[in-house]
Amino acid sequence: MTDVALIVDDSAVNRQLLARHLMSIGIDAREATDGRTALEALRTELGGQVGVVLLDVVMPEMDGYETLAAIKADESLRHLPVIMISGVDELDSVVRCIQLGATDYLPKPFNPTILAARVRASMADKRMRDLEVEHAARQAELLETIERQKEELSRFLSPQVAALVSTAEGQALLAGHRREATAVFCDLRGFTAFSDQAEPEEVLGLLREYHAAMGEHIVGHGGTLEHFAGDGMMVFFNDPVPQADHVERAVRMAVAMRGMFAGLAAKWARLGFDLGLGVGIATGYATLGRIGFEGRYDYGMVGTAVIIAARLSSAAEANQILLNPRAHAAVDQLVDVQEVGDLTLKGFARPIPTVNVLAIRASAGVATA
Amino acid sequence: MTDDIPVLDLAVIDELREQVGGDSEFITDLVATYVSEGDEHLAAMEAAAAINDAGAIVRPAHTLKSSSAALGALRLTQIAREIEIAGREEETSGLTERVADARGAWNDTLRAMADAGLTS
Repeated sequence: MTDVALIVDDSAVNRQLLARHLMSIGIDAREATDGRTALEALRTELGGQVGVVLLDVVMPEMDGYETLAAIKADESLRHLPVIMISGVDELDSVVRCIQLGATDYLPKPFNPTILAARVRASMADKRMRDLEVEHAARQAELLETIERQKEELSRFLSPQVAALVSTAEGQALLAGHRREATAVFCDLRGFTAFSDQAEPEEVLGLLREYHAAMGEHIVGHGGTLEHFAGDGMMVFFNDPVPQADHVERAVRMAVAMRGMFAGLAAKWARLGFDLGLGVGIATGYATLGRIGFEGRYDYGMVGTAVIIAARLSSAAEANQILLNPRAHAAVDQLVDVQEVGDLTLKGFARPIPTVNVLAIRASAGVATA
Repeated sequence: MTDDIPVLDLAVIDELREQVGGDSEFITDLVATYVSEGDEHLAAMEAAAAINDAGAIVRPAHTLKSSSAALGALRLTQIAREIEIAGREEETSGLTERVADARGAWNDTLRAMADAGLTS
Protein backbone atom coordinates (compact mmCIF):
# COMPACT_ATOMS: atom_id res chain seq x y z
CA MET A 1 0.00 0.00 0.00
CA THR A 2 2.55 2.57 1.08
CA ASP A 3 5.44 1.05 -0.83
CA VAL A 4 5.87 4.27 -2.73
CA ALA A 5 8.81 6.62 -2.25
CA LEU A 6 8.93 10.22 -3.36
CA ILE A 7 12.36 11.34 -4.60
CA VAL A 8 12.84 15.09 -4.36
CA ASP A 9 16.05 16.09 -6.13
CA ASP A 10 16.80 18.60 -8.85
CA SER A 11 19.42 16.31 -10.37
CA ALA A 12 17.84 14.05 -12.99
CA VAL A 13 20.85 11.71 -12.71
CA ASN A 14 20.27 11.27 -8.99
CA ARG A 15 16.52 10.74 -9.43
CA GLN A 16 17.07 8.16 -12.13
CA LEU A 17 19.65 6.29 -10.06
CA LEU A 18 17.58 6.32 -6.88
CA ALA A 19 14.44 5.23 -8.73
CA ARG A 20 16.34 2.31 -10.19
CA HIS A 21 17.74 1.23 -6.82
CA LEU A 22 14.31 1.51 -5.23
CA MET A 23 12.70 -0.46 -8.03
CA SER A 24 15.12 -3.32 -7.40
CA ILE A 25 13.81 -3.59 -3.82
CA GLY A 26 10.18 -3.45 -4.92
CA ILE A 27 9.51 0.20 -4.15
CA ASP A 28 7.73 2.34 -6.64
CA ALA A 29 9.34 5.77 -7.05
CA ARG A 30 7.67 9.10 -7.80
CA GLU A 31 9.83 12.08 -8.61
CA ALA A 32 9.78 15.81 -7.94
CA THR A 33 12.41 18.33 -9.02
CA ASP A 34 11.96 20.74 -6.12
CA GLY A 35 10.34 21.11 -2.73
CA ARG A 36 7.34 23.10 -3.85
CA THR A 37 6.35 20.51 -6.46
CA ALA A 38 6.91 17.74 -3.92
CA LEU A 39 4.66 19.36 -1.31
CA GLU A 40 1.94 19.98 -3.85
CA ALA A 41 2.03 16.35 -4.94
CA LEU A 42 2.01 15.09 -1.33
CA ARG A 43 -1.03 17.21 -0.60
CA THR A 44 -2.91 16.17 -3.72
CA GLU A 45 -2.44 13.20 -6.02
CA LEU A 46 0.14 11.40 -3.86
CA GLY A 47 -1.73 12.04 -0.61
CA GLY A 48 -1.64 8.93 1.56
CA GLN A 49 0.29 6.83 -0.96
CA VAL A 50 3.83 7.80 -0.10
CA GLY A 51 5.61 5.88 2.65
CA VAL A 52 8.91 7.77 2.61
CA VAL A 53 10.40 10.93 1.13
CA LEU A 54 14.00 11.08 -0.09
CA LEU A 55 14.89 14.75 0.06
CA ASP A 56 17.86 16.60 -1.40
CA VAL A 57 19.14 19.65 0.47
CA VAL A 58 20.16 22.05 -2.31
CA MET A 59 17.31 22.62 -4.74
CA PRO A 60 15.69 25.50 -6.61
CA GLU A 61 12.31 27.00 -5.64
CA MET A 62 12.13 25.48 -2.18
CA ASP A 63 15.21 23.85 -0.72
CA GLY A 64 15.45 20.80 1.51
CA TYR A 65 15.25 22.75 4.79
CA GLU A 66 12.13 24.62 3.81
CA THR A 67 10.52 21.49 2.42
CA LEU A 68 11.32 19.52 5.55
CA ALA A 69 9.98 22.32 7.76
CA ALA A 70 6.78 22.50 5.68
CA ILE A 71 6.27 18.72 5.93
CA LYS A 72 6.77 18.81 9.70
CA ALA A 73 4.39 21.76 10.04
CA ASP A 74 1.62 20.02 8.12
CA GLU A 75 -0.61 17.92 10.37
CA SER A 76 -1.37 15.43 7.60
CA LEU A 77 2.27 14.99 6.52
CA ARG A 78 4.08 15.38 9.85
CA HIS A 79 4.55 11.65 10.38
CA LEU A 80 5.91 10.91 6.93
CA PRO A 81 9.52 9.70 7.26
CA VAL A 82 11.98 11.97 5.46
CA ILE A 83 15.44 10.71 4.54
CA MET A 84 17.88 13.47 3.57
CA ILE A 85 20.11 12.90 0.56
CA SER A 86 23.47 14.49 1.09
CA GLY A 87 27.03 14.58 -0.14
CA VAL A 88 29.85 13.73 2.26
CA ASP A 89 30.74 17.42 2.43
CA GLU A 90 27.26 18.32 3.67
CA LEU A 91 27.24 16.54 7.01
CA ASP A 92 26.58 19.81 8.86
CA SER A 93 23.36 20.26 6.99
CA VAL A 94 22.38 16.66 7.73
CA VAL A 95 22.67 17.32 11.46
CA ARG A 96 20.50 20.39 11.06
CA CYS A 97 17.92 18.39 9.11
CA ILE A 98 17.77 15.67 11.73
CA GLN A 99 17.20 18.35 14.35
CA LEU A 100 14.38 19.63 12.16
CA GLY A 101 12.78 16.19 12.20
CA ALA A 102 14.36 14.21 9.36
CA THR A 103 14.37 10.48 10.07
CA ASP A 104 17.74 9.59 8.57
CA TYR A 105 20.17 10.51 5.83
CA LEU A 106 21.57 8.86 2.76
CA PRO A 107 25.09 9.73 1.70
CA LYS A 108 26.06 10.26 -1.93
CA PRO A 109 27.30 8.38 -3.87
CA PHE A 110 24.44 6.01 -3.16
CA ASN A 111 25.14 2.62 -1.73
CA PRO A 112 22.18 0.44 -2.70
CA THR A 113 22.47 -1.72 0.42
CA ILE A 114 22.40 1.27 2.77
CA LEU A 115 19.63 2.82 0.72
CA ALA A 116 17.52 -0.34 0.96
CA ALA A 117 18.10 -0.68 4.70
CA ARG A 118 17.23 2.95 5.53
CA VAL A 119 14.22 3.13 3.25
CA ARG A 120 12.82 -0.15 4.55
CA ALA A 121 13.35 0.83 8.18
CA SER A 122 11.61 4.16 7.63
CA MET A 123 8.72 2.54 5.83
CA ALA A 124 8.33 -0.07 8.56
CA ASP A 125 8.20 2.73 11.15
CA LYS A 126 5.60 4.52 9.11
CA ARG A 127 3.47 1.39 8.74
CA MET A 128 3.69 0.76 12.46
CA ARG A 129 2.64 4.32 13.16
CA ASP A 130 -0.18 4.15 10.64
CA LEU A 131 -1.44 0.99 12.35
CA GLU A 132 -1.28 2.68 15.74
CA VAL A 133 -3.15 5.70 14.43
CA GLU A 134 -5.73 3.46 12.79
CA HIS A 135 -6.09 1.43 15.96
CA ALA A 136 -6.49 4.55 18.09
CA ALA A 137 -9.08 5.91 15.69
CA ARG A 138 -11.04 2.67 15.78
CA GLN A 139 -10.83 2.62 19.58
CA ALA A 140 -12.09 6.19 19.75
CA GLU A 141 -14.91 5.36 17.38
CA LEU A 142 -15.87 2.37 19.48
CA LEU A 143 -15.88 4.40 22.68
CA GLU A 144 -17.95 7.05 20.99
CA THR A 145 -20.45 4.41 19.88
CA ILE A 146 -20.66 3.00 23.40
CA GLU A 147 -21.16 6.47 24.86
CA ARG A 148 -23.81 7.24 22.29
CA GLN A 149 -25.57 3.96 23.00
CA LYS A 150 -25.45 4.63 26.72
CA GLU A 151 -26.89 8.07 26.13
CA GLU A 152 -29.62 6.67 23.90
CA LEU A 153 -30.28 3.94 26.44
CA SER A 154 -30.60 6.43 29.25
CA ARG A 155 -33.40 8.10 27.34
CA PHE A 156 -35.38 4.87 27.34
CA LEU A 157 -34.36 3.43 30.68
CA SER A 158 -34.00 5.14 34.00
CA PRO A 159 -30.47 6.57 34.33
CA GLN A 160 -29.68 4.14 37.17
CA VAL A 161 -30.54 1.13 35.04
CA ALA A 162 -28.68 2.50 32.01
CA ALA A 163 -25.58 2.86 34.19
CA LEU A 164 -25.91 -0.77 35.36
CA VAL A 165 -25.48 -2.17 31.90
CA SER A 166 -21.82 -1.21 31.70
CA THR A 167 -20.54 -2.45 35.06
CA ALA A 168 -19.78 -5.93 36.38
CA GLU A 169 -21.67 -5.19 39.59
CA GLY A 170 -24.59 -4.08 37.46
CA GLN A 171 -24.58 -7.38 35.61
CA ALA A 172 -25.01 -9.21 38.91
CA LEU A 173 -27.88 -6.91 39.94
CA LEU A 174 -29.58 -7.42 36.59
CA ALA A 175 -29.56 -11.16 37.18
CA GLY A 176 -32.03 -10.68 40.04
CA HIS A 177 -31.91 -10.11 43.81
CA ARG A 178 -34.20 -9.58 46.79
CA ARG A 179 -34.30 -6.53 48.97
CA GLU A 180 -36.66 -4.18 50.69
CA ALA A 181 -37.92 -1.51 48.34
CA THR A 182 -40.64 1.09 48.06
CA ALA A 183 -42.99 1.07 45.09
CA VAL A 184 -44.89 4.14 43.98
CA PHE A 185 -47.82 4.02 41.57
CA CYS A 186 -49.58 7.08 40.35
CA ASP A 187 -52.24 7.75 37.78
CA LEU A 188 -54.83 10.32 36.92
CA ARG A 189 -58.36 10.50 38.13
CA GLY A 190 -60.66 11.53 35.30
CA PHE A 191 -58.18 10.61 32.56
CA THR A 192 -60.48 8.07 30.88
CA ALA A 193 -63.26 10.61 30.57
CA PHE A 194 -60.81 13.23 29.40
CA SER A 195 -59.28 11.04 26.68
CA ASP A 196 -62.75 10.13 25.54
CA GLN A 197 -63.73 13.78 25.00
CA ALA A 198 -60.49 15.44 24.03
CA GLU A 199 -58.76 15.42 20.65
CA PRO A 200 -55.86 12.92 20.40
CA GLU A 201 -53.41 15.84 20.07
CA GLU A 202 -54.73 17.30 23.33
CA VAL A 203 -54.36 13.94 25.05
CA LEU A 204 -50.76 13.55 23.91
CA GLY A 205 -49.99 17.16 24.74
CA LEU A 206 -51.31 16.73 28.24
CA LEU A 207 -49.42 13.50 28.75
CA ARG A 208 -46.21 15.14 27.57
CA GLU A 209 -46.66 17.96 30.03
CA TYR A 210 -47.58 15.59 32.83
CA HIS A 211 -44.68 13.20 32.14
CA ALA A 212 -42.19 16.07 31.91
CA ALA A 213 -43.37 17.46 35.24
CA MET A 214 -43.38 14.08 36.99
CA GLY A 215 -40.11 13.00 35.35
CA GLU A 216 -38.35 15.95 36.91
CA HIS A 217 -39.39 14.82 40.38
CA ILE A 218 -38.57 11.16 39.73
CA VAL A 219 -35.02 12.07 38.72
CA GLY A 220 -34.73 14.71 41.43
CA HIS A 221 -35.59 12.22 44.18
CA GLY A 222 -33.48 9.40 42.75
CA GLY A 223 -36.37 7.14 41.84
CA THR A 224 -36.06 4.33 39.32
CA LEU A 225 -38.80 4.63 36.75
CA GLU A 226 -40.06 1.17 35.88
CA HIS A 227 -42.65 2.11 33.32
CA PHE A 228 -45.12 4.58 31.92
CA ALA A 229 -48.50 3.32 30.75
CA GLY A 230 -50.64 6.16 29.51
CA ASP A 231 -51.43 8.23 32.57
CA GLY A 232 -50.02 5.66 34.95
CA MET A 233 -46.44 5.26 36.08
CA MET A 234 -44.51 3.09 38.44
CA VAL A 235 -41.39 4.23 40.25
CA PHE A 236 -39.42 2.39 42.89
CA PHE A 237 -36.76 3.32 45.38
CA ASN A 238 -33.77 1.61 47.05
CA ASP A 239 -32.77 -0.21 43.89
CA PRO A 240 -30.51 -0.57 41.96
CA VAL A 241 -28.84 2.17 44.02
CA PRO A 242 -29.38 1.49 47.75
CA GLN A 243 -31.07 4.40 49.55
CA ALA A 244 -31.34 4.22 53.33
CA ASP A 245 -34.16 6.79 53.21
CA HIS A 246 -36.08 5.16 50.37
CA VAL A 247 -39.54 5.54 51.94
CA GLU A 248 -38.90 9.18 52.75
CA ARG A 249 -37.74 9.81 49.19
CA ALA A 250 -40.86 8.15 47.81
CA VAL A 251 -43.18 10.19 50.02
CA ARG A 252 -41.37 13.46 49.36
CA MET A 253 -41.52 12.77 45.63
CA ALA A 254 -45.25 12.08 45.79
CA VAL A 255 -45.90 15.26 47.77
CA ALA A 256 -43.83 17.30 45.33
CA MET A 257 -45.69 15.72 42.40
CA ARG A 258 -49.02 16.52 43.98
CA GLY A 259 -47.95 20.14 44.45
CA MET A 260 -46.84 20.47 40.88
CA PHE A 261 -49.86 18.63 39.58
CA ALA A 262 -52.17 21.17 41.22
CA GLY A 263 -50.77 23.82 38.89
CA LEU A 264 -51.27 21.66 35.81
CA ALA A 265 -54.75 20.60 36.89
CA ALA A 266 -55.84 24.24 37.34
CA LYS A 267 -54.78 24.97 33.76
CA TRP A 268 -56.63 21.95 32.40
CA ALA A 269 -59.68 22.79 34.50
CA ARG A 270 -59.95 26.08 32.62
CA LEU A 271 -60.25 23.98 29.45
CA GLY A 272 -63.06 22.05 31.09
CA PHE A 273 -61.18 18.92 32.07
CA ASP A 274 -61.34 17.70 35.64
CA LEU A 275 -58.19 15.73 36.43
CA GLY A 276 -56.66 14.64 39.71
CA LEU A 277 -53.58 12.69 40.77
CA GLY A 278 -53.86 9.51 42.84
CA VAL A 279 -50.78 7.93 44.40
CA GLY A 280 -50.20 4.62 46.16
CA ILE A 281 -46.99 3.87 48.05
CA ALA A 282 -46.04 0.52 49.56
CA THR A 283 -42.85 -0.74 51.14
CA GLY A 284 -41.93 -4.40 51.34
CA TYR A 285 -39.51 -7.11 50.24
CA ALA A 286 -39.43 -7.71 46.53
CA THR A 287 -37.42 -9.32 43.78
CA LEU A 288 -35.68 -6.90 41.48
CA GLY A 289 -33.79 -7.40 38.25
CA ARG A 290 -34.18 -8.14 34.60
CA ILE A 291 -37.72 -9.15 33.71
CA GLY A 292 -38.91 -10.10 30.26
CA PHE A 293 -37.74 -12.23 27.40
CA GLU A 294 -34.83 -12.32 24.96
CA GLY A 295 -35.31 -9.30 22.75
CA ARG A 296 -37.15 -7.21 25.29
CA TYR A 297 -36.16 -6.96 28.93
CA ASP A 298 -37.16 -4.40 31.51
CA TYR A 299 -35.61 -3.74 34.85
CA GLY A 300 -38.45 -4.44 37.20
CA MET A 301 -39.69 -5.04 40.72
CA VAL A 302 -41.89 -8.01 41.57
CA GLY A 303 -43.58 -8.59 44.92
CA THR A 304 -46.59 -7.99 47.12
CA ALA A 305 -45.56 -4.36 47.73
CA VAL A 306 -45.88 -3.66 44.02
CA ILE A 307 -49.41 -5.02 43.92
CA ILE A 308 -50.42 -3.15 47.06
CA ALA A 309 -49.03 0.12 45.69
CA ALA A 310 -50.97 -0.41 42.45
CA ARG A 311 -54.18 -1.16 44.33
CA LEU A 312 -53.69 1.83 46.64
CA SER A 313 -53.17 4.07 43.65
CA SER A 314 -56.43 2.82 42.15
CA ALA A 315 -58.21 3.31 45.46
CA ALA A 316 -56.85 6.83 45.99
CA GLU A 317 -59.15 9.73 45.38
CA ALA A 318 -57.89 12.82 43.58
CA ASN A 319 -54.90 14.30 45.43
CA GLN A 320 -54.57 11.42 47.86
CA ILE A 321 -51.26 9.75 48.59
CA LEU A 322 -52.01 6.42 50.27
CA LEU A 323 -49.40 4.50 52.26
CA ASN A 324 -49.35 0.89 53.39
CA PRO A 325 -48.51 0.30 57.11
CA ARG A 326 -44.83 -0.49 56.50
CA ALA A 327 -44.30 2.70 54.49
CA HIS A 328 -46.24 4.72 57.05
CA ALA A 329 -44.15 3.33 59.92
CA ALA A 330 -40.95 4.45 58.18
CA VAL A 331 -42.08 8.08 57.79
CA ASP A 332 -44.26 8.33 60.87
CA GLN A 333 -42.27 11.26 62.31
CA LEU A 334 -42.02 13.02 59.02
CA VAL A 335 -45.57 13.41 57.79
CA ASP A 336 -49.02 14.44 58.89
CA VAL A 337 -51.54 11.83 57.86
CA GLN A 338 -55.22 11.20 57.84
CA GLU A 339 -56.58 7.74 58.64
CA VAL A 340 -58.35 6.28 55.64
CA GLY A 341 -59.26 3.07 57.40
CA ASP A 342 -58.91 -0.58 56.50
CA LEU A 343 -59.10 -0.96 52.75
CA THR A 344 -60.07 -4.23 51.22
CA LEU A 345 -57.90 -4.56 48.18
CA LYS A 346 -58.51 -6.98 45.32
CA GLY A 347 -56.51 -10.17 45.76
CA PHE A 348 -55.82 -9.62 49.47
CA ALA A 349 -57.79 -11.60 52.04
CA ARG A 350 -57.23 -9.18 54.91
CA PRO A 351 -58.03 -5.48 54.80
CA ILE A 352 -55.04 -3.17 54.88
CA PRO A 353 -54.95 -0.21 57.29
CA THR A 354 -54.19 2.81 55.12
CA VAL A 355 -53.29 6.46 55.65
CA ASN A 356 -53.35 9.46 53.36
CA VAL A 357 -50.40 11.86 53.47
CA LEU A 358 -51.58 15.40 54.10
CA ALA A 359 -48.26 17.16 54.26
CA ILE A 360 -44.61 16.91 55.16
CA ARG A 361 -44.13 18.37 58.65
CA ALA A 362 -42.38 21.72 58.64
CA SER A 363 -39.90 20.36 61.20
CA ALA A 364 -38.89 17.62 58.77
CA GLY A 365 -36.70 20.03 56.83
CA VAL A 366 -36.21 20.30 53.13
CA ALA A 367 -36.55 17.45 50.73
CA THR A 368 -33.58 15.22 50.17
CA ALA A 369 -32.91 14.83 46.52
CA MET B 1 45.46 21.80 -9.32
CA THR B 2 42.61 19.90 -10.85
CA ASP B 3 44.69 18.88 -13.88
CA ASP B 4 46.12 16.08 -11.71
CA ILE B 5 42.70 14.59 -11.14
CA PRO B 6 41.51 11.95 -13.64
CA VAL B 7 38.70 13.14 -15.94
CA LEU B 8 36.67 9.95 -15.65
CA ASP B 9 37.01 7.08 -13.21
CA LEU B 10 35.58 4.13 -15.07
CA ALA B 11 35.64 2.07 -11.86
CA VAL B 12 32.69 4.19 -10.62
CA ILE B 13 30.71 3.35 -13.77
CA ASP B 14 31.63 -0.34 -13.46
CA GLU B 15 30.42 -0.38 -9.87
CA LEU B 16 27.18 1.30 -10.87
CA ARG B 17 26.64 -1.24 -13.63
CA GLU B 18 27.25 -4.03 -11.17
CA GLN B 19 24.77 -2.48 -8.73
CA VAL B 20 22.08 -2.54 -11.40
CA GLY B 21 22.75 -6.11 -12.35
CA GLY B 22 24.88 -5.43 -15.43
CA ASP B 23 22.16 -3.42 -17.12
CA SER B 24 24.29 -1.52 -19.69
CA GLU B 25 21.24 0.05 -21.25
CA PHE B 26 20.38 1.72 -17.95
CA ILE B 27 23.94 3.08 -17.75
CA THR B 28 23.67 4.49 -21.28
CA ASP B 29 20.34 6.11 -20.34
CA LEU B 30 21.83 7.55 -17.19
CA VAL B 31 24.79 9.00 -19.09
CA ALA B 32 22.37 10.52 -21.63
CA THR B 33 20.49 12.18 -18.75
CA TYR B 34 23.77 13.45 -17.36
CA VAL B 35 24.85 14.90 -20.70
CA SER B 36 21.55 16.63 -21.23
CA GLU B 37 21.16 18.18 -17.78
CA GLY B 38 24.89 18.82 -17.34
CA ASP B 39 24.90 21.05 -20.36
CA GLU B 40 22.01 23.07 -18.90
CA HIS B 41 23.79 23.48 -15.58
CA LEU B 42 26.98 24.61 -17.28
CA ALA B 43 25.05 27.14 -19.36
CA ALA B 44 23.42 28.47 -16.18
CA MET B 45 26.84 28.74 -14.52
CA GLU B 46 28.26 30.60 -17.51
CA ALA B 47 25.34 33.01 -17.51
CA ALA B 48 25.77 33.69 -13.79
CA ALA B 49 29.54 34.16 -14.13
CA ALA B 50 29.05 36.59 -17.02
CA ILE B 51 27.17 38.97 -14.73
CA ASN B 52 29.26 38.15 -11.63
CA ASP B 53 26.25 36.73 -9.83
CA ALA B 54 27.95 34.47 -7.30
CA GLY B 55 24.64 33.56 -5.61
CA ALA B 56 23.08 32.26 -8.83
CA ILE B 57 26.01 29.98 -9.51
CA VAL B 58 25.68 27.89 -6.36
CA ARG B 59 22.76 25.68 -7.30
CA PRO B 60 23.80 24.62 -10.84
CA ALA B 61 27.39 24.08 -9.61
CA HIS B 62 26.08 21.96 -6.73
CA THR B 63 23.90 19.83 -8.98
CA LEU B 64 26.62 19.41 -11.60
CA LYS B 65 29.01 18.38 -8.82
CA SER B 66 26.56 15.87 -7.52
CA SER B 67 25.73 14.18 -10.86
CA SER B 68 29.37 14.25 -11.96
CA ALA B 69 30.38 12.49 -8.75
CA ALA B 70 27.71 9.86 -9.30
CA LEU B 71 29.20 8.99 -12.70
CA GLY B 72 32.89 9.21 -11.78
CA ALA B 73 33.58 12.50 -13.59
CA LEU B 74 36.13 13.33 -10.91
CA ARG B 75 37.82 16.39 -12.37
CA LEU B 76 34.54 18.16 -13.13
CA THR B 77 33.27 17.18 -9.70
CA GLN B 78 36.20 18.96 -8.07
CA ILE B 79 35.94 22.09 -10.25
CA ALA B 80 32.17 22.32 -9.68
CA ARG B 81 32.74 21.90 -5.94
CA GLU B 82 35.25 24.80 -5.90
CA ILE B 83 32.85 26.97 -7.88
CA GLU B 84 29.99 26.11 -5.53
CA ILE B 85 32.12 27.07 -2.50
CA ALA B 86 33.27 30.32 -4.18
CA GLY B 87 29.62 31.09 -4.97
CA ARG B 88 28.54 30.50 -1.37
CA GLU B 89 31.32 32.75 -0.15
CA GLU B 90 30.26 35.43 -2.68
CA GLU B 91 33.77 35.24 -4.14
CA THR B 92 33.49 36.58 -7.70
CA SER B 93 37.16 37.06 -8.62
CA GLY B 94 38.32 34.43 -11.11
CA LEU B 95 34.82 33.03 -11.40
CA THR B 96 34.67 33.31 -15.20
CA GLU B 97 37.99 31.44 -15.49
CA ARG B 98 36.83 28.66 -13.18
CA VAL B 99 33.61 28.26 -15.14
CA ALA B 100 35.70 28.11 -18.35
CA ASP B 101 37.76 25.36 -16.66
CA ALA B 102 34.51 23.57 -15.90
CA ARG B 103 33.48 23.80 -19.56
CA GLY B 104 36.89 22.33 -20.53
CA ALA B 105 36.56 19.49 -18.03
CA TRP B 106 32.98 18.89 -19.25
CA ASN B 107 34.20 18.51 -22.86
CA ASP B 108 36.95 16.14 -21.68
CA THR B 109 34.40 14.13 -19.73
CA LEU B 110 32.09 13.78 -22.74
CA ARG B 111 35.02 12.66 -24.87
CA ALA B 112 36.13 10.11 -22.26
CA MET B 113 32.58 8.81 -21.97
CA ALA B 114 32.30 8.46 -25.73
CA ASP B 115 35.68 6.67 -25.83
CA ALA B 116 34.44 4.25 -23.17
CA GLY B 117 31.37 3.55 -25.33
CA LEU B 118 28.99 5.07 -22.77
CA THR B 119 27.27 7.45 -25.14
CA SER B 120 25.07 6.38 -28.00
